[in-house]
Amino acid sequence: MTGIARGGFEGLDACVHCGFCLQACPTFLATGDESDSPRGRIELMRGLERGDIAATDPALISHLDRCLGCRGCEPVCPSGVQYGHGLEAARSRIAGSRPVPGVARLALWALTTPGISSVVYWFARVLRATGLPRLLAGWGRFGFAMGMLAATRAAQGGGGRRKAAKARQVAPAAIRRPSPPLATLLFRGCVMQGLFSHVHDATIRTLGVNGYQVRDVSGQVCCGALHAHAGLLDEARALARVNVDAFGDGDEPIVVNSAGCGALMKEYGRLLDDLRGERFGARVRDVTELLAGSAMKGPVAGEPLDLHVAYDPPCHLLHAQGIAVQPLKLFAAIPLLELVPVPGAAECCGSAGLFTLLEPEMSRAVLQTKIDRLREAAPQVVATGNPGCLMQIGAGLAAAGSAARARHPVELLDDAYRAAGRYE
Amino acid sequence: MTILEKVTALLGEGAVLEAGTDRVPRVAPGSPDAVALLLGTAHQEGWRVRIEGAGTWLQSDAPADLALTTRRLDRIPAIEPSDLTATAEAGIGLDQLRQQLADRGAWLAIDPPGLAGRTLGSVVSTATAGPLRHGFGPIKDHLLGVTFVTGDGRMVQSGGRVMKNVAGYDLTRLQAGGFGAFGVIVLVHLRLRTLPRADVTYVLEGAREDLTQVGEDIAAAGLTPAALELVSPALARRERWVLAVRLAGSPALVAADEAGLGAASGGGRFSPLRAEEAHAFWMRLAEGFSVRPVTFRIGGVPAASDELLDLLQHQLGDEWISASPAAGAIRWTGDTNIDRLQRLRRTLAGLEVPLTLERAPWPLRGAVGHFGAYREGVGPLVAGLRRTFDPGGALVVATEGS
Amino acid sequence: MDGLPTHRLIPDLVVLPGTREELVAVVRLLAALGVSFVPRGAGTGLSGGALAAEGSVLLVLTRLNRIVRIDRDSRLAVVEPGVVNAKLGAAARPAGLQYAPDPSSQSACTIGGNVAENAGGPHCLKYGVTANHILALEVLLADGSLVEIGSPSGESWGPDLVGVFVGSEGNFGIATRITVRLTPLPRAVRTLLADFTGLRTAGEAVSAIIATGIVPAALEMMDQSCINAVEDSVYAAGYPRDAAAVLLVEIDGRNSDAVVAETDVVTDLLRQSGARSVRSAATEAERERLWQGRKKAFGAMGRLSRDLVVQDAVVPRSVLPQVLETIAAIATHYGLVVSNVFHAGDGNLHPNISFDATDPVLKNKVEAASAEIMQACIAAGGTITGEHGVGIDKMRYMPLIFDAESLGAMQAVRRVFDPDERVNPGKVVPVHACREWTHARGDRVGSRGAAPRGEAA
Repeated sequence: MTGIARGGFEGLDACVHCGFCLQACPTFLATGDESDSPRGRIELMRGLERGDIAATDPALISHLDRCLGCRGCEPVCPSGVQYGHGLEAARSRIAGSRPVPGVARLALWALTTPGISSVVYWFARVLRATGLPRLLAGWGRFGFAMGMLAATRAAQGGGGRRKAAKARQVAPAAIRRPSPPLATLLFRGCVMQGLFSHVHDATIRTLGVNGYQVRDVSGQVCCGALHAHAGLLDEARALARVNVDAFGDGDEPIVVNSAGCGALMKEYGRLLDDLRGERFGARVRDVTELLAGSAMKGPVAGEPLDLHVAYDPPCHLLHAQGIAVQPLKLFAAIPLLELVPVPGAAECCGSAGLFTLLEPEMSRAVLQTKIDRLREAAPQVVATGNPGCLMQIGAGLAAAGSAARARHPVELLDDAYRAAGRYE
Repeated sequence: MTILEKVTALLGEGAVLEAGTDRVPRVAPGSPDAVALLLGTAHQEGWRVRIEGAGTWLQSDAPADLALTTRRLDRIPAIEPSDLTATAEAGIGLDQLRQQLADRGAWLAIDPPGLAGRTLGSVVSTATAGPLRHGFGPIKDHLLGVTFVTGDGRMVQSGGRVMKNVAGYDLTRLQAGGFGAFGVIVLVHLRLRTLPRADVTYVLEGAREDLTQVGEDIAAAGLTPAALELVSPALARRERWVLAVRLAGSPALVAADEAGLGAASGGGRFSPLRAEEAHAFWMRLAEGFSVRPVTFRIGGVPAASDELLDLLQHQLGDEWISASPAAGAIRWTGDTNIDRLQRLRRTLAGLEVPLTLERAPWPLRGAVGHFGAYREGVGPLVAGLRRTFDPGGALVVATEGS
Repeated sequence: MDGLPTHRLIPDLVVLPGTREELVAVVRLLAALGVSFVPRGAGTGLSGGALAAEGSVLLVLTRLNRIVRIDRDSRLAVVEPGVVNAKLGAAARPAGLQYAPDPSSQSACTIGGNVAENAGGPHCLKYGVTANHILALEVLLADGSLVEIGSPSGESWGPDLVGVFVGSEGNFGIATRITVRLTPLPRAVRTLLADFTGLRTAGEAVSAIIATGIVPAALEMMDQSCINAVEDSVYAAGYPRDAAAVLLVEIDGRNSDAVVAETDVVTDLLRQSGARSVRSAATEAERERLWQGRKKAFGAMGRLSRDLVVQDAVVPRSVLPQVLETIAAIATHYGLVVSNVFHAGDGNLHPNISFDATDPVLKNKVEAASAEIMQACIAAGGTITGEHGVGIDKMRYMPLIFDAESLGAMQAVRRVFDPDERVNPGKVVPVHACREWTHARGDRVGSRGAAPRGEAA
């Protein structure tokens, strides 16, 4: 059978159930239930493919719904099982035989539909500006949602005490700056555009310092990742096609600062099963990839920031895109900034797209472990490059009463550049 | 027919030996099958049988209709120096076995208390480890498998002769230290080591507390002695307590540890023993435990070792004591009575320290038992195992005491 | 389902108790109902030991994962059964201690499962297997009663019930509290990778090392097929792909001079025995990589085919070269791919057969080849399992190494702990084994209330 004919299930064939994935799975660690582990879910998915288990089986649905899709199991798998592909195939089958849960539908409609979403985000921004969400943050459903919203707010005047070294060595960047600047196209996305436009601004500025000219592309839409995770592959494909058209057939890199979007966009070829998608995917770059540079020299150095930072690699960056070192190059470009090691940093935070809304209980259980460890390590900033993770971790920190903020790595670099007077 | 006549008919005249002072007929089967035949008959006839080896360790005084001695089961069917394994019958004297192994460059790293001619079966069934337990573990760690005959004459094998084996339940460990309550061991598969190329002993005399501290320093310094034994003055026949350190292994390892020993003892107060002196020292130590009427061992965690030595001295008097503090094992020998021993066992049980009575005259051993002070639920399990392996109660063993 | 691909069973009910009290309550309820149950840890077993059939309840112990305490002075730890092996090791490290048994699945497997199977691992060559490291246990019997056996010093209260319990494959009850011995971390470690152009010369090198009296911490062998599977995986360790076999040798100790000296001796021996090259891990990271490749080899072999049977047998070390050749011949005869990755220093073989279980013809061939390999190992004086256990997979081989009396004795011992054979039924001892033992005695532990007899007389 060809890969296409089996729709991704073939990625599971290499599994010999050794069980080495169990301890890498946040949901298994939370429940201890084999069915909430990669190995158990693979067994369920194999049963689904064989037809032994119906796509409407409630137990099957529940255990697959409870998968974060973080793919933390993939890098530890000795035999290279493509869990993510299998999961997508299974979810697509499930979606084909049941209505997508109302909450998911509603959320997708509200967050990704052009016209609708702009109103939703406007309201959210107004509410955010009142400062109320931060005050109302907590562990309950409402409180957590408020915490998530509060976490999207740009830091006031940047973070960390700036070193007052005023001797500004302006533009050593010019040495690195190619002329003319390299053109890149910014993918704006839905949530990023609606709630994290400050991260887009930081992305444009920091790339500028490093010799990239960032251009906007009109006609782009949501990447479709949330739809794909929910099993709505047809809707994801429709969105993907719009984006492929919008970004055209040039060869400029497409820069993304949301790990979840980047992970799917790099796979448009597989999703659309065509050459255009393939070519599109090959152009997609996470912002940290561009800043680190192909030779991993790292971005131009900024002004020192006296900050303790815990880096929390998003699953869709680390596991799905295999990007581990590049974000660290950003921190390395900020003198004085100290990275605080946190055990289990590479484990999922429990956000996972709509997961935090659909499976709040599991999501909080997974998050709790991370928050406990963060509180122990006590950084001032938790840096992570994905909107879902920023909101999830930010809400968790707020609920736990921690003063630490969740921020995107480019925001920190942006602060360091501003302090260095690069934007003056 | 008398019992003796029946046995003679069964096993032939050669199997019947001269009786001991208590006139109990003594029978020495010449093969494992003969042991099975004898015990099968005893089970049917309702005879009570006591088990003996060379008669040098446990007193041969249990009331019985028949004494079964393993001393004619003295073959060594296999020594495999390249595999570091050997198979020996239970009645072989340890001295003979050791000699045969040494001739092939192999070593059984156990040095049990008692006389040199103690049988292998005796050592295994009583699990009496000596000072080498510090470096090489308890008796059970040297066993790959055993064959034993149950009280009703069935021959059972367990384990095998390879280094690792998890086929079936581990009945070998049930037999090691079972005191014969679950059958008579007839054949033992042993795990060997190569004969150490370097083997030296150092001794240091001093006050007990000081020596304990030196022992801890040696452990902290990262030395890996084969034995690290604290011996009471009476047993060592010296003025004061003795800390004896035996280093055995590759020349590189021993040389490194020798260098570290001086540093750990604060400037080389340890004196080395010449090879024959060392041999004599360890042998005298082992033999000391078969001289006095009562010998027992207790096991406590290393941190409690000092406290336990105090307790023994206080409750039973300053007798002959040898301890491997780091291994958590203390052995005492001397003279005492039922009451004091029972009281001591109760006190120790409160400290989570088991007392195993190794040897004692029958009246004491019958009353106190080799074992006792079981935790809740253990007694019924032991009784169940006893019924399983000796359903007719043919084997006379003082398990829990009366 | 566990690491054994040839068997798959579905239990009637799965229970995941969150505390010891819940576990006890469930077992008492099952006792009252007369329902059988199967304890399960992480499900990394390789003999089907934790599979529960219809009519049985699966008791999953992964949530009982507390490390109760670590006692630095007495060098011991008390843990619940669901604690993952590697996590115990990590918790002991700050105290300068280690839990020595290190099964290859240690990143996932649980101490409770280790106790049930008497698990081994590469470093057991020097440090001993699980049984050598268990001091005391709190055991939950089939009838719901809790019994404490063993003591913190390792000396037992009477017969060595801990020794009997360890490796009983869940047939005697559930270990609810486990006291393990911790050992000092070695202060000096040297790890060598030697590559050979022939399996036989590699086998001979093993014998040569053992004969010196130096006890390496580990002495592992991997053949070419296994090397390639590992090198293709994320755990690629830099093993030479063109080698017929590599030996991974580790020398450790608490004195670095001695370790260096012993390493020199071993290096010379490896060269003399025909090693093409001997490489020493220069950094801790490199050492870790060499070991990760070895430990994840089983999983990596998933690349070779859809299914994989990991066999487990032990032979006397001196016959390793011959037995390896016999295994290769059996593989050729059946047209199967057999990869070898094993604890050479112990003579503990793991021939892995790669196949596709959806092909029934192939599946039968694998069964037949497995049986032939077992018979060859037994004929060489070996046994059918060194660390994976009998489970359901090896039951059929039990009569090849034990006679009916011995099997009957095992069955009878089991019935002392579990008279109705309700814990993990249908495992280890084949059912037809000498029923006479248990019937003749009629001493079900229902009569456990009877006073223990002091004297047999």
